Amino acid sequence: MQNVIVTDLNRCVGCLACSVACKSANSVPIGSFWNKVLRIGPNPKTPGAQCPDVEMYFLPVGCQHCETPECVAVCPTGASHKLADGTVQIDKAKCIGCQFCVMACPYNVRYLNEEEGVIEKCTLCAQKISQGELPQCVEQCGGRARFFGDIEQGIENLEGPGEPGAFGKDKSYETMITTRVKLGDYVHPFAQNEVHKLPNVGNKPAFAYILRDRQWRGKE
Amino acid sequence: MELQWELILFTTFIAWSAGLFGAQALAAAFGQAKKAQFASWIAAAVLLVVGGIAVFFHLKHWERIFNGFGNPTSGITQELIALLALAVVAIVYLVAVKRSEDGGSVPKWLAWIAVIVSAATVIVMAHSYMMVSRPAWDSFVWLAYVLGNSLVLGPATLAVIAAVTGEADFKQLGLWALIGALASLLLALAYAVSIQGVGAAFTDVGLYFDPTHPTKVMADANATLADQALLLWLGAVVVGAALPAVGALVAWRKNDATAWKLFGSGIIVCALIGAIALRVVFYNVGLSVFMFY
Repeated sequence: MQNVIVTDLNRCVGCLACSVACKSANSVPIGSFWNKVLRIGPNPKTPGAQCPDVEMYFLPVGCQHCETPECVAVCPTGASHKLADGTVQIDKAKCIGCQFCVMACPYNVRYLNEEEGVIEKCTLCAQKISQGELPQCVEQCGGRARFFGDIEQGIENLEGPGEPGAFGKDKSYETMITTRVKLGDYVHPFAQNEVHKLPNVGNKPAFAYILRDRQWRGKE
Repeated sequence: MELQWELILFTTFIAWSAGLFGAQALAAAFGQAKKAQFASWIAAAVLLVVGGIAVFFHLKHWERIFNGFGNPTSGITQELIALLALAVVAIVYLVAVKRSEDGGSVPKWLAWIAVIVSAATVIVMAHSYMMVSRPAWDSFVWLAYVLGNSLVLGPATLAVIAAVTGEADFKQLGLWALIGALASLLLALAYAVSIQGVGAAFTDVGLYFDPTHPTKVMADANATLADQALLLWLGAVVVGAALPAVGALVAWRKNDATAWKLFGSGIIVCALIGAIALRVVFYNVGLSVFMFY
Protein backbone atom coordinates (compact mmCIF):
# COMPACT_ATOMS: atom_id res chain seq x y z
CA MET A 1 0.00 0.00 0.00
CA GLN A 2 1.26 3.46 -0.84
CA ASN A 3 -0.99 6.39 -0.05
CA VAL A 4 -0.26 9.40 -2.22
CA ILE A 5 -1.64 12.64 -3.54
CA VAL A 6 -1.66 13.13 -7.30
CA THR A 7 -2.23 16.69 -8.51
CA ASP A 8 -3.63 17.57 -11.91
CA LEU A 9 -1.57 20.69 -12.61
CA ASN A 10 -3.81 21.66 -15.52
CA ARG A 11 -6.58 22.07 -12.96
CA CYS A 12 -4.51 23.86 -10.30
CA VAL A 13 -5.21 27.61 -10.30
CA GLY A 14 -2.60 28.55 -7.67
CA CYS A 15 -5.16 29.71 -5.12
CA LEU A 16 -3.00 28.47 -2.19
CA ALA A 17 -6.11 27.04 -0.52
CA CYS A 18 -4.18 23.79 0.04
CA SER A 19 -1.39 25.64 1.88
CA VAL A 20 -3.80 27.61 4.05
CA ALA A 21 -6.03 24.59 4.76
CA CYS A 22 -2.99 22.55 5.76
CA LYS A 23 -1.71 25.20 8.15
CA SER A 24 -5.12 25.51 9.73
CA ALA A 25 -5.73 21.77 10.09
CA ASN A 26 -2.27 20.95 11.40
CA SER A 27 -1.30 24.08 13.37
CA VAL A 28 1.80 24.62 11.26
CA PRO A 29 3.91 27.40 12.83
CA ILE A 30 4.05 30.84 11.21
CA GLY A 31 6.79 30.90 8.58
CA SER A 32 6.75 27.13 8.09
CA PHE A 33 4.78 25.12 5.56
CA TRP A 34 3.85 21.48 5.08
CA ASN A 35 2.57 22.27 1.63
CA LYS A 36 3.59 25.19 -0.50
CA VAL A 37 2.51 26.21 -4.00
CA LEU A 38 5.26 27.38 -6.35
CA ARG A 39 4.63 29.13 -9.63
CA ILE A 40 6.85 27.57 -12.28
CA GLY A 41 7.25 30.05 -15.12
CA PRO A 42 6.42 31.92 -17.18
CA ASN A 43 9.03 30.11 -19.25
CA PRO A 44 9.46 30.13 -23.05
CA LYS A 45 7.45 27.39 -24.76
CA THR A 46 10.41 26.79 -27.05
CA PRO A 47 14.02 27.89 -26.57
CA GLY A 48 14.34 31.61 -27.24
CA ALA A 49 10.57 32.21 -27.53
CA GLN A 50 9.24 35.59 -26.37
CA CYS A 51 5.97 36.62 -24.72
CA PRO A 52 3.20 35.67 -25.48
CA ASP A 53 4.74 32.33 -26.42
CA VAL A 54 5.32 31.44 -22.76
CA GLU A 55 3.72 28.98 -20.37
CA MET A 56 3.50 28.37 -16.65
CA TYR A 57 1.93 26.11 -14.09
CA PHE A 58 1.52 25.96 -10.35
CA LEU A 59 3.27 23.21 -8.40
CA PRO A 60 2.10 22.27 -4.89
CA VAL A 61 5.13 20.84 -3.06
CA GLY A 62 5.28 19.00 0.23
CA CYS A 63 6.57 15.72 1.59
CA GLN A 64 6.46 13.24 -1.28
CA HIS A 65 6.12 10.25 1.12
CA CYS A 66 8.90 8.53 -0.81
CA GLU A 67 9.09 4.78 -1.39
CA THR A 68 12.69 4.65 -0.13
CA PRO A 69 12.92 7.82 1.93
CA GLU A 70 16.38 9.23 2.64
CA CYS A 71 15.04 10.94 5.77
CA VAL A 72 14.22 7.54 7.26
CA ALA A 73 17.63 6.12 6.27
CA VAL A 74 19.57 8.87 8.07
CA CYS A 75 17.37 9.15 11.19
CA PRO A 76 19.48 7.77 14.05
CA THR A 77 16.57 7.12 16.37
CA GLY A 78 13.92 5.60 14.15
CA ALA A 79 11.74 8.67 14.80
CA SER A 80 11.28 9.06 11.06
CA HIS A 81 9.68 5.89 9.83
CA LYS A 82 7.53 4.52 7.05
CA LEU A 83 4.13 3.10 7.90
CA ALA A 84 2.34 0.19 6.29
CA ASP A 85 0.09 2.66 4.46
CA GLY A 86 3.19 4.05 2.71
CA THR A 87 3.26 7.37 4.52
CA VAL A 88 6.42 8.68 6.17
CA GLN A 89 5.78 9.79 9.74
CA ILE A 90 7.77 11.27 12.63
CA ASP A 91 7.53 9.97 16.19
CA LYS A 92 8.22 13.23 17.99
CA ALA A 93 8.89 11.44 21.27
CA LYS A 94 11.91 9.72 19.72
CA CYS A 95 13.28 12.70 17.78
CA ILE A 96 16.51 14.20 19.15
CA GLY A 97 16.37 17.21 16.83
CA CYS A 98 19.62 16.40 15.02
CA GLN A 99 18.12 17.72 11.76
CA PHE A 100 19.91 15.19 9.56
CA CYS A 101 16.55 14.27 8.02
CA VAL A 102 16.12 17.94 7.09
CA MET A 103 19.47 17.80 5.30
CA ALA A 104 18.71 14.44 3.67
CA CYS A 105 15.37 15.46 2.17
CA PRO A 106 15.87 16.42 -1.50
CA TYR A 107 12.82 18.71 -1.37
CA ASN A 108 13.55 20.77 1.77
CA VAL A 109 10.08 20.04 3.12
CA ARG A 110 11.15 19.29 6.69
CA TYR A 111 11.87 21.92 9.31
CA LEU A 112 12.79 22.19 12.96
CA ASN A 113 9.90 23.23 15.20
CA GLU A 114 11.93 25.55 17.45
CA GLU A 115 9.35 25.48 20.23
CA GLU A 116 9.18 21.68 20.51
CA GLY A 117 12.77 21.01 19.38
CA VAL A 118 11.65 18.31 16.96
CA ILE A 119 11.23 17.95 13.21
CA GLU A 120 7.90 18.33 11.47
CA LYS A 121 6.50 17.87 7.98
CA CYS A 122 3.36 16.77 6.16
CA THR A 123 1.73 13.74 7.79
CA LEU A 124 -0.73 13.39 4.92
CA CYS A 125 -3.25 14.39 7.59
CA ALA A 126 -2.80 11.09 9.42
CA GLN A 127 -5.46 12.16 11.92
CA LYS A 128 -7.99 12.46 9.09
CA ILE A 129 -7.09 9.62 6.74
CA SER A 130 -7.13 7.16 9.65
CA GLN A 131 -10.83 8.00 9.94
CA GLY A 132 -11.50 7.59 6.24
CA GLU A 133 -11.39 11.31 5.48
CA LEU A 134 -9.35 13.05 2.80
CA PRO A 135 -6.25 15.11 3.64
CA GLN A 136 -7.26 18.71 4.26
CA CYS A 137 -5.34 20.00 1.20
CA VAL A 138 -7.28 17.56 -1.00
CA GLU A 139 -10.58 18.35 0.64
CA GLN A 140 -10.22 22.10 0.20
CA CYS A 141 -8.45 22.25 -3.15
CA GLY A 142 -10.02 25.20 -4.98
CA GLY A 143 -9.59 23.60 -8.39
CA ARG A 144 -10.45 20.02 -7.37
CA ALA A 145 -7.00 19.22 -8.69
CA ARG A 146 -5.78 16.99 -5.89
CA PHE A 147 -6.67 13.33 -5.47
CA PHE A 148 -5.76 10.99 -2.63
CA GLY A 149 -5.55 7.24 -2.20
CA ASP A 150 -3.51 4.08 -2.61
CA ILE A 151 -1.55 4.43 -5.85
CA GLU A 152 -1.18 0.65 -6.00
CA GLN A 153 -4.92 0.46 -6.69
CA GLY A 154 -4.38 2.54 -9.84
CA ILE A 155 -4.11 6.27 -10.36
CA GLU A 156 -7.64 6.38 -11.75
CA ASN A 157 -9.04 5.21 -8.41
CA LEU A 158 -7.62 8.07 -6.35
CA GLU A 159 -10.35 10.20 -4.83
CA GLY A 160 -11.15 13.87 -4.54
CA PRO A 161 -14.05 15.68 -2.89
CA GLY A 162 -17.42 15.32 -4.63
CA GLU A 163 -19.11 18.21 -6.37
CA PRO A 164 -21.96 19.90 -4.44
CA GLY A 165 -24.38 18.89 -7.18
CA ALA A 166 -23.84 15.27 -6.19
CA PHE A 167 -24.91 15.80 -2.58
CA GLY A 168 -28.61 15.54 -3.38
CA LYS A 169 -30.97 16.96 -0.78
CA ASP A 170 -28.72 16.07 2.13
CA LYS A 171 -26.35 19.03 2.46
CA SER A 172 -24.92 17.89 5.79
CA TYR A 173 -21.22 18.04 6.65
CA GLU A 174 -21.18 14.25 6.82
CA THR A 175 -22.44 14.02 3.23
CA MET A 176 -19.98 16.64 2.08
CA ILE A 177 -16.93 14.84 3.42
CA THR A 178 -18.00 11.38 2.30
CA THR A 179 -19.07 12.23 -1.24
CA ARG A 180 -16.15 11.62 -3.57
CA VAL A 181 -15.16 11.70 -7.21
CA LYS A 182 -12.57 9.38 -8.75
CA LEU A 183 -9.63 10.83 -10.62
CA GLY A 184 -10.28 8.56 -13.59
CA ASP A 185 -13.86 9.77 -13.90
CA TYR A 186 -13.18 13.41 -13.27
CA VAL A 187 -10.05 14.77 -14.91
CA HIS A 188 -9.37 15.14 -18.62
CA PRO A 189 -7.61 12.18 -20.26
CA PHE A 190 -3.86 12.05 -19.92
CA ALA A 191 -1.06 9.86 -21.20
CA GLN A 192 1.41 8.02 -19.01
CA ASN A 193 4.21 10.35 -20.13
CA GLU A 194 2.17 13.26 -18.80
CA VAL A 195 2.51 11.95 -15.23
CA HIS A 196 5.58 13.47 -13.60
CA LYS A 197 7.45 13.27 -10.32
CA LEU A 198 9.88 15.55 -8.52
CA PRO A 199 13.59 14.74 -9.04
CA ASN A 200 14.40 11.23 -7.86
CA VAL A 201 17.85 10.81 -6.34
CA GLY A 202 17.17 7.27 -5.17
CA ASN A 203 14.36 8.17 -2.78
CA LYS A 204 11.59 7.36 -5.29
CA PRO A 205 9.01 10.08 -4.56
CA ALA A 206 5.53 8.57 -4.37
CA PHE A 207 3.50 11.69 -5.17
CA ALA A 208 2.87 12.52 -8.80
CA TYR A 209 1.73 15.42 -10.97
CA ILE A 210 -0.29 15.33 -14.18
CA LEU A 211 0.71 18.01 -16.69
CA ARG A 212 -0.67 18.03 -20.24
CA ASP A 213 0.32 20.19 -23.20
CA ARG A 214 3.08 21.94 -21.27
CA GLN A 215 6.70 21.18 -20.66
CA TRP A 216 7.52 19.72 -17.24
CA ARG A 217 10.40 21.80 -15.90
CA GLY A 218 13.25 20.23 -14.00
CA LYS A 219 14.57 16.74 -13.68
CA GLU A 220 12.51 13.76 -12.65
CA MET B 1 21.38 25.85 4.07
CA GLU B 2 21.91 27.64 7.39
CA LEU B 3 25.30 27.38 9.00
CA GLN B 4 25.29 24.67 11.66
CA TRP B 5 28.07 26.04 13.85
CA GLU B 6 27.88 23.20 16.36
CA LEU B 7 28.50 20.68 13.58
CA ILE B 8 31.22 22.85 12.03
CA LEU B 9 33.06 22.80 15.38
CA PHE B 10 32.26 19.14 16.00
CA THR B 11 33.70 17.90 12.71
CA THR B 12 36.73 20.18 13.03
CA PHE B 13 37.60 19.17 16.58
CA ILE B 14 36.98 15.47 16.00
CA ALA B 15 39.20 15.56 12.90
CA TRP B 16 41.85 17.33 14.98
CA SER B 17 41.50 14.98 17.96
CA ALA B 18 41.56 11.80 15.87
CA GLY B 19 44.43 13.20 13.82
CA LEU B 20 46.49 13.90 16.91
CA PHE B 21 45.71 10.53 18.51
CA GLY B 22 46.44 8.76 15.22
CA ALA B 23 49.72 10.67 14.83
CA GLN B 24 50.92 9.87 18.33
CA ALA B 25 49.99 6.23 17.83
CA LEU B 26 51.91 6.17 14.54
CA ALA B 27 54.88 7.70 16.36
CA ALA B 28 54.56 5.04 19.07
CA ALA B 29 54.50 2.31 16.42
CA PHE B 30 57.91 3.54 15.24
CA GLY B 31 59.23 4.27 18.74
CA GLN B 32 59.10 8.03 18.22
CA ALA B 33 57.97 11.00 20.37
CA LYS B 34 58.01 9.07 23.64
CA LYS B 35 58.17 12.19 25.79
CA ALA B 36 55.15 13.64 24.07
CA GLN B 37 52.87 10.60 24.41
CA PHE B 38 51.05 11.51 27.63
CA ALA B 39 50.67 15.21 26.82
CA SER B 40 49.41 14.35 23.33
CA TRP B 41 46.89 11.94 24.77
CA ILE B 42 45.58 14.63 27.12
CA ALA B 43 45.39 17.15 24.26
CA ALA B 44 43.55 14.67 22.02
CA ALA B 45 41.12 13.87 24.84
CA VAL B 46 40.41 17.56 25.45
CA LEU B 47 39.77 18.09 21.73
CA LEU B 48 37.43 15.09 21.70
CA VAL B 49 35.49 16.48 24.65
CA VAL B 50 35.25 19.95 23.08
CA GLY B 51 33.92 18.39 19.87
CA GLY B 52 31.49 16.26 21.87
CA ILE B 53 30.18 19.28 23.79
CA ALA B 54 29.71 21.17 20.52
CA VAL B 55 27.60 18.40 19.00
CA PHE B 56 25.49 18.11 22.15
CA PHE B 57 24.53 21.76 21.66
CA HIS B 58 23.35 20.85 18.17
CA LEU B 59 20.88 18.31 19.49
CA LYS B 60 17.59 19.85 20.57
CA HIS B 61 16.81 16.85 22.79
CA TRP B 62 20.22 15.67 23.94
CA GLU B 63 18.58 13.92 26.87
CA ARG B 64 17.32 11.39 24.32
CA ILE B 65 20.84 10.77 22.99
CA PHE B 66 20.63 7.02 23.64
CA ASN B 67 17.85 6.91 21.04
CA GLY B 68 20.74 7.66 18.70
CA PHE B 69 21.69 4.01 18.65
CA GLY B 70 18.31 3.16 17.12
CA ASN B 71 19.19 2.87 13.45
CA PRO B 72 22.45 1.19 12.43
CA THR B 73 22.17 2.45 8.83
CA SER B 74 22.17 6.04 10.05
CA GLY B 75 25.41 8.01 9.83
CA ILE B 76 24.89 9.45 13.31
CA THR B 77 24.50 6.00 14.86
CA GLN B 78 27.68 4.91 13.09
CA GLU B 79 29.43 8.08 14.32
CA LEU B 80 28.40 7.35 17.89
CA ILE B 81 29.70 3.80 17.64
CA ALA B 82 32.99 4.97 16.06
CA LEU B 83 33.49 7.61 18.76
CA LEU B 84 32.82 5.08 21.50
CA ALA B 85 35.31 2.68 19.89
CA LEU B 86 37.86 5.51 19.70
CA ALA B 87 37.30 6.33 23.38
CA VAL B 88 37.73 2.68 24.42
CA VAL B 89 40.94 2.30 22.39
CA ALA B 90 42.21 5.62 23.77
CA ILE B 91 41.68 4.49 27.35
CA VAL B 92 43.47 1.19 26.74
CA TYR B 93 46.22 3.18 25.02
CA LEU B 94 46.60 5.50 28.03
CA VAL B 95 46.85 2.55 30.40
CA ALA B 96 49.57 1.04 28.19
CA VAL B 97 51.49 4.34 28.08
CA LYS B 98 51.36 4.78 31.86
CA ARG B 99 52.41 1.18 32.47
CA SER B 100 55.34 1.26 30.08
CA GLU B 101 58.81 1.45 31.60
CA ASP B 102 59.80 4.59 29.72
CA GLY B 103 56.36 6.18 30.11
CA GLY B 104 55.96 6.62 26.37
CA SER B 105 55.60 3.24 24.71
CA VAL B 106 52.70 1.01 23.76
CA PRO B 107 52.63 -2.41 22.10
CA LYS B 108 52.85 -2.11 18.32
CA TRP B 109 49.57 -3.91 17.77
CA LEU B 110 47.81 -1.40 20.00
CA ALA B 111 49.49 1.53 18.25
CA TRP B 112 48.31 0.31 14.85
CA ILE B 113 44.79 -0.34 16.15
CA ALA B 114 44.76 3.26 17.42
CA VAL B 115 45.87 4.54 14.00
CA ILE B 116 43.17 2.52 12.24
CA VAL B 117 40.38 3.48 14.67
CA SER B 118 41.38 7.16 14.45
CA ALA B 119 41.21 7.11 10.66
CA ALA B 120 37.97 5.12 10.71
CA THR B 121 36.34 7.62 13.08
CA VAL B 122 37.11 10.52 10.75
CA ILE B 123 35.92 8.59 7.70
CA VAL B 124 32.67 7.51 9.38
CA MET B 125 32.04 11.05 10.63
CA ALA B 126 32.57 12.61 7.20
CA HIS B 127 30.57 9.85 5.51
CA SER B 128 27.47 10.74 7.54
CA TYR B 129 27.28 14.02 5.59
CA MET B 130 27.36 12.36 2.20
CA MET B 131 23.74 12.72 1.12
CA VAL B 132 22.43 12.36 -2.42
CA SER B 133 20.02 15.20 -1.71
CA ARG B 134 22.96 17.65 -1.41
CA PRO B 135 25.13 17.37 -4.54
CA ALA B 136 27.98 19.44 -3.06
CA TRP B 137 28.21 17.04 -0.12
CA ASP B 138 27.76 13.75 -1.91
CA SER B 139 31.40 13.21 -2.81
CA PHE B 140 34.10 10.89 -1.57
CA VAL B 141 36.47 13.82 -2.07
CA TRP B 142 34.71 15.49 0.88
CA LEU B 143 35.45 12.43 2.96
CA ALA B 144 39.09 12.53 1.86
CA TYR B 145 39.24 16.28 2.59
CA VAL B 146 38.19 15.78 6.23
CA LEU B 147 40.78 13.04 6.54
CA GLY B 148 43.21 15.65 5.16
CA ASN B 149 42.28 17.92 8.09
CA SER B 150 43.44 15.16 10.41
CA LEU B 151 46.60 14.60 8.38
CA VAL B 152 47.70 18.22 8.69
CA LEU B 153 46.45 18.99 12.21
CA GLY B 154 47.48 15.74 13.91
CA PRO B 155 51.19 15.49 13.04
CA ALA B 156 51.70 19.28 13.36
CA THR B 157 50.14 19.30 16.84
CA LEU B 158 52.24 16.29 17.82
CA ALA B 159 55.36 18.08 16.59
CA VAL B 160 54.51 21.17 18.67
CA ILE B 161 53.85 19.05 21.76
CA ALA B 162 57.07 17.13 21.14
CA ALA B 163 58.96 20.42 20.89
CA VAL B 164 57.42 21.68 24.13
CA THR B 165 58.06 18.42 26.01
CA GLY B 166 61.75 18.43 25.09
CA GLU B 167 61.86 15.94 22.25
CA ALA B 168 65.16 16.28 20.41
CA ASP B 169 64.69 14.28 17.21
CA PHE B 170 62.28 15.80 14.69
CA LYS B 171 63.48 14.01 11.59
CA GLN B 172 60.61 11.50 11.46
CA LEU B 173 57.95 13.69 13.10
CA GLY B 174 58.78 16.55 10.77
CA LEU B 175 58.58 14.33 7.72
CA TRP B 176 55.13 13.07 8.77
CA ALA B 177 53.94 16.63 9.37
CA LEU B 178 55.22 17.64 5.94
CA ILE B 179 53.60 14.68 4.21
CA GLY B 180 50.35 15.35 6.10
CA ALA B 181 50.34 19.01 5.11
CA LEU B 182 51.05 18.21 1.45
CA ALA B 183 48.32 15.57 1.41
CA SER B 184 45.93 18.05 3.00
CA LEU B 185 46.77 20.63 0.32
CA LEU B 186 46.13 18.13 -2.44
CA LEU B 187 42.80 17.05 -0.93
CA ALA B 188 41.68 20.64 -0.27
CA LEU B 189 42.40 21.47 -3.92
CA ALA B 190 40.51 18.39 -5.07
CA TYR B 191 37.43 19.18 -2.98
CA ALA B 192 37.46 22.86 -3.98
CA VAL B 193 37.44 21.81 -7.64
CA SER B 194 34.69 19.29 -6.88
CA ILE B 195 32.53 21.99 -5.25
CA GLN B 196 33.04 24.43 -8.13
CA GLY B 197 31.89 21.83 -10.61
CA VAL B 198 28.67 20.84 -8.88
CA GLY B 199 26.41 23.53 -10.41
CA ALA B 200 24.92 21.29 -13.10
CA ALA B 201 23.65 18.79 -10.51
CA PHE B 202 20.82 21.03 -9.29
CA THR B 203 17.33 21.02 -10.75
CA ASP B 204 16.56 23.95 -13.03
CA VAL B 205 12.92 24.90 -13.52
CA GLY B 206 13.61 28.18 -15.29
CA LEU B 207 11.78 31.20 -13.93
CA TYR B 208 9.75 30.50 -10.80
CA PHE B 209 8.10 32.35 -7.96
CA ASP B 210 7.20 31.47 -4.38
CA PRO B 211 3.98 33.35 -3.54
CA THR B 212 4.48 32.75 0.18
CA HIS B 213 7.85 34.54 0.04
CA PRO B 214 7.18 37.25 -2.55
CA THR B 215 10.39 39.20 -1.89
CA LYS B 216 12.68 36.15 -1.87
CA VAL B 217 15.04 35.96 -4.82
CA MET B 218 15.12 32.83 -6.95
CA ALA B 219 17.53 30.13 -5.85
CA ASP B 220 20.58 30.20 -8.09
CA ALA B 221 23.14 27.48 -7.52
CA ASN B 222 25.80 29.01 -9.76
CA ALA B 223 25.50 32.42 -8.06
CA THR B 224 25.78 30.74 -4.66
CA LEU B 225 28.90 28.90 -5.77
CA ALA B 226 30.39 32.15 -7.10
CA ASP B 227 29.63 33.92 -3.79
CA GLN B 228 31.62 31.32 -1.90
CA ALA B 229 34.61 31.27 -4.23
CA LEU B 230 36.74 33.71 -2.20
CA LEU B 231 36.18 31.90 1.09
CA LEU B 232 36.77 28.56 -0.60
CA TRP B 233 39.95 29.38 -2.50
CA LEU B 234 41.53 32.00 -0.27
CA GLY B 235 40.30 30.74 3.11
CA ALA B 236 40.25 26.98 2.70
CA VAL B 237 42.88 26.38 0.03
CA VAL B 238 45.47 29.18 0.34
CA VAL B 239 45.32 29.94 4.08
CA GLY B 240 44.02 26.57 5.22
CA ALA B 241 46.15 24.26 3.12
CA ALA B 242 48.89 26.02 1.12
CA LEU B 243 50.32 28.05 4.02
CA PRO B 244 50.50 24.98 6.32
CA ALA B 245 52.33 23.10 3.54
CA VAL B 246 54.86 25.95 3.21
CA GLY B 247 55.20 26.15 7.01
CA ALA B 248 55.76 22.41 7.27
CA LEU B 249 58.38 22.54 4.53
CA VAL B 250 60.29 25.34 6.29
CA ALA B 251 60.10 23.65 9.72
CA TRP B 252 61.12 20.29 8.23
CA ARG B 253 64.19 21.90 6.65
CA LYS B 254 65.16 23.65 9.90
CA ASN B 255 64.51 20.40 11.79
CA ASP B 256 64.65 21.71 15.37
CA ALA B 257 62.32 22.26 18.32
CA THR B 258 62.24 26.05 18.01
CA ALA B 259 61.15 25.85 14.38
CA TRP B 260 58.43 23.34 15.14
CA LYS B 261 57.11 25.40 18.06
CA LEU B 262 56.81 28.45 15.81
CA PHE B 263 55.83 26.98 12.47
CA GLY B 264 53.88 24.11 13.99
CA SER B 265 51.67 26.58 15.86
CA GLY B 266 51.23 28.56 12.66
CA ILE B 267 50.28 25.42 10.75
CA ILE B 268 47.64 24.59 13.36
CA VAL B 269 46.12 28.09 13.29
CA CYS B 270 46.04 28.23 9.48
CA ALA B 271 44.68 24.69 9.15
CA LEU B 272 41.92 25.46 11.65
CA ILE B 273 40.99 28.64 9.77
CA GLY B 274 40.90 26.62 6.56
CA ALA B 275 38.87 23.78 8.07
CA ILE B 276 36.26 26.19 9.41
CA ALA B 277 36.21 28.26 6.20
CA LEU B 278 35.59 25.17 4.12
CA ARG B 279 32.80 24.00 6.42
CA VAL B 280 31.13 27.40 6.12
CA VAL B 281 31.31 27.00 2.33
CA PHE B 282 30.09 23.41 2.76
CA TYR B 283 26.85 24.57 4.37
CA ASN B 284 26.39 27.59 2.11
CA VAL B 285 26.66 25.52 -1.06
CA GLY B 286 24.83 22.57 0.52
CA LEU B 287 21.69 23.28 -1.49
CA SER B 288 19.26 20.47 -2.04
CA VAL B 289 18.71 19.01 -5.50
CA PHE B 290 15.27 20.65 -5.61
CA MET B 291 16.05 23.99 -4.00
CA PHE B 292 12.87 25.98 -4.53
CA TYR B 293 10.61 25.04 -1.59
